[in-house]
Order: sequence, then structure tokens, then C-alpha cells
Amino acid sequence: MAVLSVSDVGISFGGLRAVDGISFGVEPREIFAIIGPNGAGKTTLFNVISRIYEPSTGSIVFDGRDITRIPPHDVVRAGIARTFQNINLFDNATVLDNLMLGRYRHHRSGVLRQTLFTPFVRREKLADRRKVEEVIDFLELGKYRDVLVAGLPYGVRKIVELGRALAAEPRLILLDEPSSGLNVEETRDMVFWIQDMRDDLDMTVIMIEHDMSLVSAVSDRVLAMSSGRMLALGTPGEVQRDPGVAAAYLGG
Amino acid sequence: MKFYKKTSYTEDFRLFRDGAAAFWYALLGLALVAAPFVLPAYYLSQLVLIGIYVVAGAGLMLLSGYCGQISLGHAAFFAVGAFTVAVLEKHGVPFLAAFAAAGALSAVVGFVIGLPALRLSGLYLAIATLAASFIVTEVIVRWESVTNGASGLNVAKIRIAGWVADSEPKLYAIVLAVALAAMLAVRNIVRAPLGLAMMAIRDSETAAQSMGVPLMRVKLAAFAISALLTGLAGALYAHKLQFIDPDQFTILVSIEFLVMIFIGGIGSMHGIVLGAVFVIALPQLVAVAKDYLPAAVAQQSGLQAAVYAVVLLAFILAEPTGLYGIWRKIKHYFSMFPFYRKGSLRRAKSFAKSETW
Repeated sequence: MAVLSVSDVGISFGGLRAVDGISFGVEPREIFAIIGPNGAGKTTLFNVISRIYEPSTGSIVFDGRDITRIPPHDVVRAGIARTFQNINLFDNATVLDNLMLGRYRHHRSGVLRQTLFTPFVRREKLADRRKVEEVIDFLELGKYRDVLVAGLPYGVRKIVELGRALAAEPRLILLDEPSSGLNVEETRDMVFWIQDMRDDLDMTVIMIEHDMSLVSAVSDRVLAMSSGRMLALGTPGEVQRDPGVAAAYLGG
Repeated sequence: MKFYKKTSYTEDFRLFRDGAAAFWYALLGLALVAAPFVLPAYYLSQLVLIGIYVVAGAGLMLLSGYCGQISLGHAAFFAVGAFTVAVLEKHGVPFLAAFAAAGALSAVVGFVIGLPALRLSGLYLAIATLAASFIVTEVIVRWESVTNGASGLNVAKIRIAGWVADSEPKLYAIVLAVALAAMLAVRNIVRAPLGLAMMAIRDSETAAQSMGVPLMRVKLAAFAISALLTGLAGALYAHKLQFIDPDQFTILVSIEFLVMIFIGGIGSMHGIVLGAVFVIALPQLVAVAKDYLPAAVAQQSGLQAAVYAVVLLAFILAEPTGLYGIWRKIKHYFSMFPFYRKGSLRRAKSFAKSETW
């Protein structure tokens, strides 16, 4: 039983079909990679799943619930968190505050209680802080805890963004090019973290990735896209051998 | 040099950073309580104005400093608060009820003005709030049967169950209490999830939304709370002046509020108070300086506005973190002495900035 099923999703901008008739299902605890040349519509597909864009056709069902029309801020409440290709952090806040915001979906207190900072709010905050510390431990961000995000190196910001998504405790996490801009060592860490997310945190992972060695190392299945359409879907080996995929990359 | 060794998670979000900070704030509190007994009447009166501006500034800081929504319309909330309390008291409503109503009505107006904010940002939002504030002042001028229009309204002294605030120290006591409550409320919001959500909206709406922040609700809450506080400040202001007319609530007041939080230090609690002290003290300093300036300059009517402009420009260019930033640097200098280096508090410019547009 697929945890996420995307059926016949399409979206056009003006006359351009950015994503056209994409259908696939992702199994629980699967690591699912999406590859394709630039402009293939991979990020657009992510934006449709996380409801930043309105799909023109098709439907998205997550965990048995149709999320095609829910408000964008409810996507993470449903259990889907994401990272962005160009790192979208809160620059004027510390690493800790960025991660704390990842907990936002778990809050129950209203405006009045927060204005009075009642013991209930304090308890919620404390529980969040504990959870965030687990994420800090997991990603080894301890030494950056109280540092402003704006001043951090690119690789660290990337990991902070991953941490913010993890802090939300999603069941499904969408990673948009997790290894771009990372050095070799950081990329290797990323491989371990992605595997740990599945093995230890019971998450399902969908990632857009260009680094084929990372894709073959961690992913169970791969979806190849080009010009908004599906080219191939299968194990990394199958997709790499697919003649259509090679043609799309080499322009044949 | 001071090191913070945290031993509990609650230290990340408690009211004061540590015992030493709490001690200094307690001392400041004592000084504020002692002020009416030691300060001459004139200075106490200035302190009352500062207190009123702190309440308004707390409101605007929450909206513009933390939530990133620039408002050029806060004079409108100030006016709504002032006229509501004046009109209600004229009809015999007791102060506390009128005061609460002033806050509530301002919050409602803030909510309504906040609605366009859901689709606008930056300059466009500033213009929209400016336009909205013109509408509000126009309503106050035209609605003569209630507000007495352009001729203004006399405001009685504050009366709470038989107790009358008929002297400056009594008014000061009320203003101080409201200002402390306003600061506490804003501080609480800032350290609660709601404040974090506001700061998230300021830095990246897309990311905030993707982490579950309902943009519409949080922005409207920021507008309403901000307007509520500014309205309460307006109600106190009416009692301070004892006479109000619509001319006192022009765009210049809105600009003064913005200047206040910018110069105080955008996005900081200290900035609210430092900014309020600045905008109240500056006209006095200008008045004193007039005696020493050549007559040709001193006689100019726009002198004060010009000084505002120069100071504001100087801050934007040289010290964007405002008076609070200067204060932090001074503290840092002494705590690091003699190892202070010029660049040690400079923010690293991030090259990735351009990627986020």
C-alpha cells in the first residue's frame, strides 16, 4: 500500500506543460529518487506535492487522504516536510530558532496563552526543545546551536535546513538536491543520514538528485523525468540502462 | 569575557537571559518606581510621553520589527484609541472599560487594515497602510456628531472607581504599568511559537508556510495585536494631552513611530525603549541646540524634521542595528577589554543571499 500516490499530475504555466501526466506511488520506508536534466519539472513536481503550486490535473493522495486541495500550511501537518533547492532558511535567526520553527506544526496553544506565556506554553516549548536537541545530535549541529544562520557556510546551512524538516517529525520528507554544493565528505554524511532517516526514524524519503553515485547508493527506485514527462521508473540500475534516459541526458 | 554555560533547556527561552540581567532589570524597575519622587515635574512629564511611545513602539515593533510588515499607518490606530476613549468617557463610560474598548476597536481596525497585507509586501504594503490611515483620519474628521470633527475633544482626567489621576505622578504610575505590561506581552509573544512564526514570515514566507505557519492567520494576529497596543497608547496619549483633534494624528506620527523602532534597533526589545527615549528626547535636544546655532538655521521651521532625516540616514548607513547595536558594541568592548577588535561583531555577509532573492 503506497504511502504517497501521485496520479496523472500535470501543471502548465501559460502554454508550457511543466509537468505532464506524472503518476507514481511511493511505498512506506522507501527511498525514492527523481532525476532528470535541468528544466525537467522535478522541482515543480515537488512544489505541486507541497501545495505551493496548484496542479491543473490529477490528484495526490498521502496516507489515504487526498491532499490535492488542502492549504499549503497543512501539508506539513499531514506529515510531509521538505527542503528547498536554494536553501530557504530564516537568515536572521539562530540555528536553534530555525529548528524550533520546524516544531511549529505540533503546537496547540492559542494567541492569548502565548501572550501570557502560561505553563502550558512553557511545557510545549520544553518538549520542542528536547526534540530539537535530538535533531541537533543526529546531524551533529551542536557547535552551531546559537549561531545566526546568515553567517554559516553553505554546507552547514544545507544541513540546518534538513534539520528543520526533520524537527517536524514528518512521515515523508522531500529533499530537493540534498547534495548540491556539498563537498565529498559532507555528501558521504548525507548518504548515511538519508539511510538513517529510513532505518531509525521510519521515514519515507523522496529526493531530487543529480549525483548518480548518491542515487545508486541509497535509492530503492528512481523516476527519470524530461520535459515534464516520465521517462523511466525502476531500480537505479534499470533506469541507468534505459535508452530514453541516456538520450535525454546526452541530447540524442 | 562572559561565558554562558547552559544547564537547562528552559534557559533558551526564559524572560531574562541570566541572573545578572534580571538583577539589572530589577534595578531599572526600582529606578522607574522612584522616578516620581526624585525627578522634577518637567522630566516626569517627558517620562510619561516616553512610556506612551513605548506602548505604541511595542506594537509597531511586533508588526514591523518581528513580522516584517512595514506599516505607515500606525497614526490611525493611535487616533482610533485616543478618540474611542475620549468619546466613550464623554458619554460617562468608566475609564477602564473605555480603555479596553479603545484597544479592542483599534485591534478590529488593525485586523481590517491587515487584510490587504495578505497579498502585499514591502513598499506596496506601506502605501496601502498609509492610504488606510488617511481613510481613518478622514472618518474621524467627518463624523462630527461623534468625534466633534476638526474642533477636537476635551479629555477628562483618568478616573478609576473614585480614584482620580489628577497629578503627573499618578498618570505616570498608570502609564508605567501599561508600558511594562505591553513590553512583557511582546516579549512573551516573541519567545513563544507565534513570535517565531512571525520572524519566519519576515525572513521567508515560502519556508514558513512549508513548515506549517498559516501566513494569513499569523499576519492578521500581528496586525491586530500591534494595533491593539498602539490603540492603548493612543488612549493614554489622549489623557496626557487632555485635548485631542485629528491634526495630532497625521502621517508624521506614523513616520515618527517607524523612525523610533528603526533607530532603536529593528527586531529587538531594547530597541523599543531606546527608540522611544530617542524620539522624545530629540526635539528637546534640537530646542537646546537652537540657542547655539546661527539664527538663519535656528529659525527654520523644518529643523526638527531635518535632524530626524539626517539621524535616520546616518543610522541606516552606519549602524543598521540601531541604538541597541551601539549598546551591544559598547558592552562587548568592555567585556573583551583589551582584546576588542573592530570587526568582531560585524555580521558575515552571506554570498548565498542573492539566491533567495
